[in-house]
Amino acid sequence: MSTELNSGPVITAHNLRKMYGPHLALDDVNLEIPSGAVGILGPNGAGKSTLFKCLLGLIKTTSGEGTVLGYDIRTEGDKIRSRIGYMPEYDALDPGLAAVDQVRYSGELLGMNPAHATQRAHEVLEYVGLKDQRYRKIETFSTGMKQATKLACALVHDPEILICDEPTNGLDQRAREFMLQTLRRTVSEGGRSVLMSSHVMDDVQDVCDRIVMIHKGKIVVQSRIDELAKQVDREIEISIWGGASRMQAALEGRGFEVRRLGRVIRVDRVDDNTTFVILEAAAEAGVQVRQMQEYEPDLEDIFLLIMDKLGAKVKGTSELMTESHTGGGPPE
Amino acid sequence: MVRLSDDEVDIGGGKTRMEVAYGSGDGDDEAQAIVAKKEATLGAIFDQSYRPWEGELGPRWVRNYAIFRHHVYGLFRGTGHRHYHPMVKLTILIILLYSLLPVLMLFLASLTSGGEIGDLTARMWGINRYNLWGQVLGYFPRNLCCWPLLTALVVGGMISDDRRNGTSAIYFSRPVTRFDYTAMKYLSVAVVLGFVIVLSYFVYYTTAIIFNAEGWAYLVDTLPMFLGGLLAGILVVITYTSIGLALSSISQSRFFAAIAFLGLIYGTKLLALLIDTQFDSSILYILSPYDCLAHIGQWLVGIDQNYEHPLSFSIVSILAINAACIGLLTARVSSLEVTRE
Repeated sequence: MSTELNSGPVITAHNLRKMYGPHLALDDVNLEIPSGAVGILGPNGAGKSTLFKCLLGLIKTTSGEGTVLGYDIRTEGDKIRSRIGYMPEYDALDPGLAAVDQVRYSGELLGMNPAHATQRAHEVLEYVGLKDQRYRKIETFSTGMKQATKLACALVHDPEILICDEPTNGLDQRAREFMLQTLRRTVSEGGRSVLMSSHVMDDVQDVCDRIVMIHKGKIVVQSRIDELAKQVDREIEISIWGGASRMQAALEGRGFEVRRLGRVIRVDRVDDNTTFVILEAAAEAGVQVRQMQEYEPDLEDIFLLIMDKLGAKVKGTSELMTESHTGGGPPE
Repeated sequence: MVRLSDDEVDIGGGKTRMEVAYGSGDGDDEAQAIVAKKEATLGAIFDQSYRPWEGELGPRWVRNYAIFRHHVYGLFRGTGHRHYHPMVKLTILIILLYSLLPVLMLFLASLTSGGEIGDLTARMWGINRYNLWGQVLGYFPRNLCCWPLLTALVVGGMISDDRRNGTSAIYFSRPVTRFDYTAMKYLSVAVVLGFVIVLSYFVYYTTAIIFNAEGWAYLVDTLPMFLGGLLAGILVVITYTSIGLALSSISQSRFFAAIAFLGLIYGTKLLALLIDTQFDSSILYILSPYDCLAHIGQWLVGIDQNYEHPLSFSIVSILAINAACIGLLTARVSSLEVTRE
């Protein structure tokens, strides 16, 4: 799915720097984000929220410059915020209001007249799947319904860019899929751009075709996901029965770099002969190879690989998640 | 075994198994039971489609008016705007009616005009400097009971709710500046307080003229003292709004803001009163917002001042209290986050 709609960048930043006292939050950020769906990735404290605040024109940058939809982030923050929809990570809804009133009020805060805001509130609540619940008070809503209401608030004025901070936080599988489908549709059918931050790589991969990765305030990667996947070394994934440790030792003895997760082992695909060498090693170790296939790297692998190259000790993105990301349950 | 198709399973009307087996007419005609029925094929298929919006966004005043309307309309409407508990609305209504009680007394007094009783009722409820001062700054129960309670009910949650619910993000991720946000919240509270305090004062004065059929000469005579009282009433509204909103901005609880406001008004008053009675010194009254306002109000309306310390102390104190509260309010609103709280 290609969601890039035109070639011109909607967001640019040039040597953008933000310091909080002595702490460097953004370090000479250079960005060029085209229209379409873009995932913003990075560990906690990497600078994602600071970047969002800078792009929304909410905080003064220490140095550098940037534009959003052609508006200067240093001087035209109000114009930017008029044309952007922001879906915050945390609860940002008045529990005493009905969903339709909350969305209508969000529209009025943008300058929509009450009649237009009310009509539009009904439309967007239908779009996010809350048509039948729109008159219910938000305090009675589930997490998924609250997330959908926040999305409706962000979409009420049909923004050109939708910024979503962890949109699938705390959602169950069904609600999560619907949220991702809605975001995809907003890009493909609505022609809007989506900037989405998430710790769940599958979600980002599902919606976005580009990523921007931040680490310690620096942009370490900004590229298309498929292009990044091409740069990752090809691996062969095998499922072992009857002595995965022996198999690991046998493979390492043959000079392979081995990654093991229980009975599943991945080895670098050096050449066409690699499969035969693996089978030899299995025979030597006396184990069964139940399955062997070429492994397609996903965004999680790309993220971990980049984190590894940067020296960050991250074993999986689940480590980066808090209870608010998982809805209180253990990370998947 | 006979297999039934899906359609055959749909037994219309819901007959009991007994009726089906043996027919009816044996006294079971009215018997009903829920039996298997085919699920109704009603309802619409959800068709998600993105609808663009072609409208124009209004200017800054439209956004600001939306904030103001949201907070003020909530008092008059059940849904759609800021939620005020029905008991809060009822209490505010009772305070408003209570503050309009002199109007009723004026009406009764006007029926007994002339003679000794007429003079007495005119002195008690008619327009004079003491009664005008009393309407906005009367000691008890009006000023020291009704107005603080009114303020506590209105300011509780005005900003603390945004901090607790994270709704500050709704404002600041839109083209609403922190100045606009603070100013509109301030204006909303001030208008509600003004609606009760200043409006009741205005109604009291105008009805006195109407009930007694007073002419232009009376109006010219009493207007300066009315304006003095009006200014005092506006000062009460401004000061109580500043203190109340500052307290609302430092917590995440409606209850804290309300109780802290009452505690501040009553606490400072009580402390100053104790010192005054024990040591015969009124200087600590400059810490009490109520007494400072009362002192200034006495001067504005032109009645004898019953505080020993100079008026300038009270003026400086009120200015300092307002400045400190607005400073605190501004600082706390600046700390409201958009991305994380």
